[in-house]
Amino acid sequence: MRVILEKGTIFYQGKFQQLGRLVLDHGKITEVTLASVKAKKPKVGGKEKGDSEKVINCDGKYVMPGFIDAHTHITLEEEGIGWVDADLNEQYGLVTPQVRAFDALKMRDQALADARSGGVTTMMVAPGSANPIGGQACIIKAHGQIAEEASIRESCGMKLAFGENPKRIYAEQKQFPSTRMGTAAIIREWLMKAQDYSKKKKSKDFRDRDIKLEALLPLLEGKIQARAHAHTADDIITAYRIAQEFNLDLVIDHCTEGHLIAKELGRWKAKAVVGPTFSCRVKPELRHRTFDTVRVLLDEGCMVAITTDHPVIPIEGLSLAAALCVRHGLEEERAIKAITEYPAAILGLDKRLGKIETGFDGDVVVWSGHPLDSRSKAESVFIDGARVL
Amino acid sequence: MSSILFDNVRVYLSGAFFPAQKVLIEKGKIAAVGSKVLKNVETVIDGQGKYLIPGLIDAHTHLGLTDHGYGPSGSDLTEWSEPITPHLRPLDGIKMRSDSLSDARRSGISVCMVSPGNANLIAGQCSILKTYGNSADVGLIVEQAGIKICLGEEPKHLLDGRKAFPTTRMGMAALLRETFMKAQDYHEVKQSKKGLRDRIIQMEALGPLLDGVVPLRAHAQRLEDIMAAIRLADEFKLKLVIEHGIEAHKVAGLLAEKKIPVVLGPLLMAERSAETRDRIFECAVKLLDAGVEVALTCDYPGLPVETLRIAAAMAVQFGLDEKRALQCITETPAKILGIANRVGHIRKGYDADVGLFSGHPLDIRSKLEVLVIDGEIFKFN
Repeated sequence: MRVILEKGTIFYQGKFQQLGRLVLDHGKITEVTLASVKAKKPKVGGKEKGDSEKVINCDGKYVMPGFIDAHTHITLEEEGIGWVDADLNEQYGLVTPQVRAFDALKMRDQALADARSGGVTTMMVAPGSANPIGGQACIIKAHGQIAEEASIRESCGMKLAFGENPKRIYAEQKQFPSTRMGTAAIIREWLMKAQDYSKKKKSKDFRDRDIKLEALLPLLEGKIQARAHAHTADDIITAYRIAQEFNLDLVIDHCTEGHLIAKELGRWKAKAVVGPTFSCRVKPELRHRTFDTVRVLLDEGCMVAITTDHPVIPIEGLSLAAALCVRHGLEEERAIKAITEYPAAILGLDKRLGKIETGFDGDVVVWSGHPLDSRSKAESVFIDGARVL
Repeated sequence: MSSILFDNVRVYLSGAFFPAQKVLIEKGKIAAVGSKVLKNVETVIDGQGKYLIPGLIDAHTHLGLTDHGYGPSGSDLTEWSEPITPHLRPLDGIKMRSDSLSDARRSGISVCMVSPGNANLIAGQCSILKTYGNSADVGLIVEQAGIKICLGEEPKHLLDGRKAFPTTRMGMAALLRETFMKAQDYHEVKQSKKGLRDRIIQMEALGPLLDGVVPLRAHAQRLEDIMAAIRLADEFKLKLVIEHGIEAHKVAGLLAEKKIPVVLGPLLMAERSAETRDRIFECAVKLLDAGVEVALTCDYPGLPVETLRIAAAMAVQFGLDEKRALQCITETPAKILGIANRVGHIRKGYDADVGLFSGHPLDIRSKLEVLVIDGEIFKFN
């Protein structure tokens, strides 16, 4: 199946331009020609027998890369079902690096249809923030009947949690940790154990695998990222301190007070997934939340993505969150990049996702109007070149 | 044990009924089948042209583990205390004099697989036995016939009450993985020169599973839980049977490709849970058309054991042909249980497990008149 999108406005090479034609073929973007380029007679060669072709006129519409939310919990608690499907947090586990969000994905969840309706085609899905070490995050596309079909990476990062959440959960259980010091200590303790385990494992007759420590090895080896849930400036710095100590590839998730330590984060070339800013200050560590954070951090040279933290705010609100940053002074091109190419870069997928470019995945959305105008509607959504909305 | 001759029966042979046949039973086995069997025997049963089929097989039950009406004293279905119990063996909990076994016979069921309940992540071992005998050993066919694991909603109930890890599907998958990983290491040490002296009964019980001698029988209703079982089986190279499989039709192609059989049911439930709301009676025919081996089950005490024939009849109502529907409660469960060389057919040399019905066995108005198990006669007049 080959799809040709003609005319309209395209977000291409970082700015809005006039589209000549865009071709999706065998799951990929195979051609992008701007209207300004006097296209040779469009070559439609290489068409295999039996291949169908669909041409869509996008005149007056906007052709965008699929949006990416680099921090969600989508489908872990299927919406509208309740307890049976609540698979977000192992709230009695404390240290659970061995658990994988991938094992609790429910592709039937209507939230995925919501994602598509909001033009979101790729999401990182992480366990919740109850545990200091919460488990493995995965990356999926918003399409497929089983998790394997949707999967981009089954394990992309290790969720760590700082601040209020873990200490609240475990203080309620009258268990360690009940302070920020305790949370940091327990993370440090397990990373230390994993380092020793890694050495011990090198001996020939080692036959005593530990599933938790096994799960931490890819983190120490830099194969997966440390995904640190941290809202306050001090928690962010604690995460950074530990990452330095163990040489981890760190991403700060939420980063609510990031603007208060923007200089430091800029100096460290920090990667931050900011949000959900469009929520109320329901706990003390959100009291400094502002729509300025994204702009301030970008200005300091950080790599920044905007998140809904679905289901904290609904996934289809991702473009709205970006629009609110524009209202607070961010240029619209950078706001769009913060829900496309920047999250792709943070997730290590910038060679295939986040932009409309030849050779990239065919994740393209046709909007009825400007994508940051909340009156606009995602009219056609393509994932891997196939129309899913 | 006397010889028995069924005279003038409409016998079910390789997928079709043949009228005016005789079936001779000697020493608990089928000795001859045909229209010209001549032999003087002690017991002649005049079939009057009625239907003789193989004894029915339910490949997923908890028969005998519960003795209804006796409260906790009679209930040995579920070990509520901990999630990983591969060392449990059904034979130690089966009560042969419970009503469930006489009900099974009255329903024409001669063979059943019995496993511990649905609440534990690793529930225990599965055993295959006949539905008669003074003790469970009398009709025992295979004692260690698989390891039962449970995924989804039901184990979550148990786990949630413990207020301990795990409580989510993420944690459940991880704990199963961890247990199999430990068992792999345990058996490697056991087989190494160094050997081991401190045996662990749970790890011992998992040996035949890891060696591929017995399958993983995974309680999984929803698509996601079926996929979790497949993932686990792939990772540890285990043979897999999907038990219940309410949404198995959604991945029929994949199950066929991986040659994973499904023991399907119960479908005839009054109240559907979040996990079973997508159940359809066409599931069996969809799976079979895709090339998946399917046995039907009533999951006693999930549904009354008398509903096994109804399950097959319902499948016919929703598009399955009668031949394959009967196979789903005779020869296919025998195959899935790995005992197709002795039960599931009326065939010379096979176990003498047959049922005489007043009419077509998939017509619910038909009544079971005689059931023979290993040459033992049970009459229901």
